[in-house]
Amino acid sequence: MNKAINAELLDLSNCAKEPIRTPGSIQPHGFLLALSDELTVLQASANLGDWAGCSAAAVVGGPLAGVIGEDGVQRIVAQLGPELGSHPFYAGTVGIRSKRHFDVLAHRWDRVTYLEFEPVDRAEAADFRHLYPLIGDFLLKVNEAGSIQMLAQQACEHVRAVTGYGRVVAYQFDPDGHGHVMAESLEAGYHAYMGQHFPATDIPAQARELYLLQHIRLIQNADYHPAALVPALNPLTQQPNDLSFAALRSVSPVHLQYMRNMETLASMSVSLIVKGKLWGLISCHNRDPKPVGFEKRTACEQLGQILALCIESREDARELQFRLEVRRIMVAMLAGLTQGSNFIDNLSSVFPDLLRFARAAGAAIVVDDRILLHGDTPGKEEIAALVDWLARSEHGDLYHTDNLSRAWPPAAAMVRNASGLLALPISRIHKHYLLWFRPEYVHTIEWAGNPREKEAADKALHGAPLQLSPRTSFASWRETIHGSSVRWHAGELELALEFRTALLGIVLERAEQMAELAGELGRANKELEAFSYSVSHDLRAPLRHIVGFSDLLLESAGSEDAVQRQRFLKNIKESARLAGKLVDDLLSFSQMGRAALRPTEVDMNDLVNSCIHKLAPETRGRDIEWDVAPLPVVWADPTFLHLALSNLLANAVKFTGQREMARIRISADDHAQETVFHVDDNGAGFNMDYVHKLFGVFQRLHRMEDFQGTGIGLANVRRIVERHGGRVWADSVLGESASFSFALPKHEDEDEADDGAQADNPTKQ
Amino acid sequence: MLKPILLVEDNPNDLELTLIALSKSQLANQVVVMRDGAEALDYLHRRGEHATRVAGNPAVVLLDLKLPKVDGLEVLKDIRETDSLKPLPVVMLTSSKEEQDLVRSYELGVNAYVVKPVDFTDFVRAISDLGIFWAVLNEPPPGSQRYIKPPKN
Repeated sequence: MNKAINAELLDLSNCAKEPIRTPGSIQPHGFLLALSDELTVLQASANLGDWAGCSAAAVVGGPLAGVIGEDGVQRIVAQLGPELGSHPFYAGTVGIRSKRHFDVLAHRWDRVTYLEFEPVDRAEAADFRHLYPLIGDFLLKVNEAGSIQMLAQQACEHVRAVTGYGRVVAYQFDPDGHGHVMAESLEAGYHAYMGQHFPATDIPAQARELYLLQHIRLIQNADYHPAALVPALNPLTQQPNDLSFAALRSVSPVHLQYMRNMETLASMSVSLIVKGKLWGLISCHNRDPKPVGFEKRTACEQLGQILALCIESREDARELQFRLEVRRIMVAMLAGLTQGSNFIDNLSSVFPDLLRFARAAGAAIVVDDRILLHGDTPGKEEIAALVDWLARSEHGDLYHTDNLSRAWPPAAAMVRNASGLLALPISRIHKHYLLWFRPEYVHTIEWAGNPREKEAADKALHGAPLQLSPRTSFASWRETIHGSSVRWHAGELELALEFRTALLGIVLERAEQMAELAGELGRANKELEAFSYSVSHDLRAPLRHIVGFSDLLLESAGSEDAVQRQRFLKNIKESARLAGKLVDDLLSFSQMGRAALRPTEVDMNDLVNSCIHKLAPETRGRDIEWDVAPLPVVWADPTFLHLALSNLLANAVKFTGQREMARIRISADDHAQETVFHVDDNGAGFNMDYVHKLFGVFQRLHRMEDFQGTGIGLANVRRIVERHGGRVWADSVLGESASFSFALPKHEDEDEADDGAQADNPTKQ
Repeated sequence: MLKPILLVEDNPNDLELTLIALSKSQLANQVVVMRDGAEALDYLHRRGEHATRVAGNPAVVLLDLKLPKVDGLEVLKDIRETDSLKPLPVVMLTSSKEEQDLVRSYELGVNAYVVKPVDFTDFVRAISDLGIFWAVLNEPPPGSQRYIKPPKN
């Protein structure tokens, strides 16, 4: 939006070549002297003779005293300090030979000191005191005024009371630079402009710039004949004088014609500057020429400043309130979005909030070819085409328009519900969009004169629009605006961007969760595959054996080979037992993946002792030397850890079965991040070539008849340890020893847990 | 002289059942039994414990898929990657109907893939058919006969 204004201003300023800062002349209701630092007169306005009785040419090159006498110089010079700046400053009131008295305004610009003399009826210095009650009254009214419009209304009343103008209006510029009359104070008989719009073209760019620099301008009589400077060029620079800050600066003849067309011979404008920008103007008009003294102008300027400050604070408050509300909706939405697992479904569940968030009538979520709609929106096909267009154009992180059909002509078919569009791409790669639609807002604008008419007239006359020819009609003219929506608020756009960032965050987090989930699923699938593989392979074997040996038994029913029959029977029994154990082990293995861990503090000494105790039936009659080192406390699920440890100890017992004296040692190493446990035995060991298969499901490195087992035990150990975030490994010297190790990570909150435990039980160390 | 049949089987029950089935088929071939993949490879490569055996490939290898240490697929791979063993017929004997095992076996160049039937009669018939086909009916590739040398003593 700002870009549009700037482009327009730039364009206008190129057209407007009128030297409004360097007109080379002043308005003749006063006179001007340009002085060197030594107070030598460099230039004087040509009307000097009318006011001071001496010709400009005569005083140039001479001392200031030659114009205003030694007395006047004494009075003025005392005020001209080194800090004299570009802002005109009241330097006093002086009388000149003709006995007329003048208020003197001084300012310094471009190495020149300018003195401007405005005639006054009094001989003494200007007195601002009688204006204070007016300003004081305004300040009181300001506190009572409820709206910016009421404030402006008060300001207009006060300015009219101070200046005596026939009409005082306040107008505000819209983002396109058009002025809208929002307050007005009228004397009877003056035409009202309230509510009307003045096109941006009425005030060229360079005039706006001047309004920013100098906050008050007076045109006392639009029919004036300018008084040229003598000599015409500044002798110090040999350039035309920059009179930007001079109160008497002559204005553009185009503007004077404009005033005459408007039947306003005197005018004054006060800039309303809010946050460094020209927010609006207080504009005063009078049918007949009208002088306004410096002190009154100063009062009006102050009033304008107070009004601007009030506007700023009210707009700030309103803006803040607006943003707070939008943010509140956004936060509620985001909270909703993080609830469920499906992001798109979540988004559609907050559709009502989405509408309120952007003050939109319709919204759409576009995920590739899927389009979800809510509220008043165009059809899916239209939206698909719109998204194609959006995706093709470079719109950055956010696209918005309050007149979609102007940007994209096919939208002419959907102006009713999609004149305004706010589009938020939520992926850089995919065609994922959040779209908000605002319906057409058909409204009429009351122009003070048809702004197009002037262009058309200019075109007819000169073949091209002439920016600087003033329009002639101020008769109110209604324009009906079609195809556009309510404008998008800057706060809405900013928060939409914020919302996008938050959405991307959620999407990213989701993606990470999905990746994690996919990883977990992948692992679960692998285990499932191993599981079903085992069921089809390992479980089928004992069943086949049972059937096979049963058949053989039946076959050999009549034979005398009792030994063979005995063996068949034994095989059947063994196979049945193995099948049962397999089913049990498989079940426990599959449960391992499902059951939730309930970690707590586990004393490993207790755990080891309990495992050894449980192994008693298998170790009966065996000579086993248990060597259990002092073991630490760990953070783990005690049931699962018990199972893992039992498996390792049972393995050690099993594989030392052929030793006369079995030695099994359980020990621990303490590391910064983890605790490592070892189970060492002096058993059969295994070939390290196959160590990578050791912890796989149904992997056995020994023959069935040598060491019984289903090949699930170590797979269980690995699964349990890995679910605790740890790792397992093994080492062996074949035929001599085996060493199984596992590491458990230290619990992050272990210290807290300790603290908590100590708090509960102060005697515990 | 008939070449032996090499049976690689770790499971004692399966071993007994297979031997019974082979004997029922009344094949005259000697059956050499290896109890795991590593041992089978030692036998085939005539190394380790089997370094001194008489040279020559068996008529057929009946290979269990699941074996401790080196499994059936790894044995098969080794056979197909060794020039002298390449022509050797290999029959995968397995309990697994898993497609991945089947696909993998054929990729590695197995000659036949037999899922051990649960029913014992079927099992006997399958083993017997296998033995007869590979050890008797099948004409080995030319040249492979040259590996057969009469025993020295």
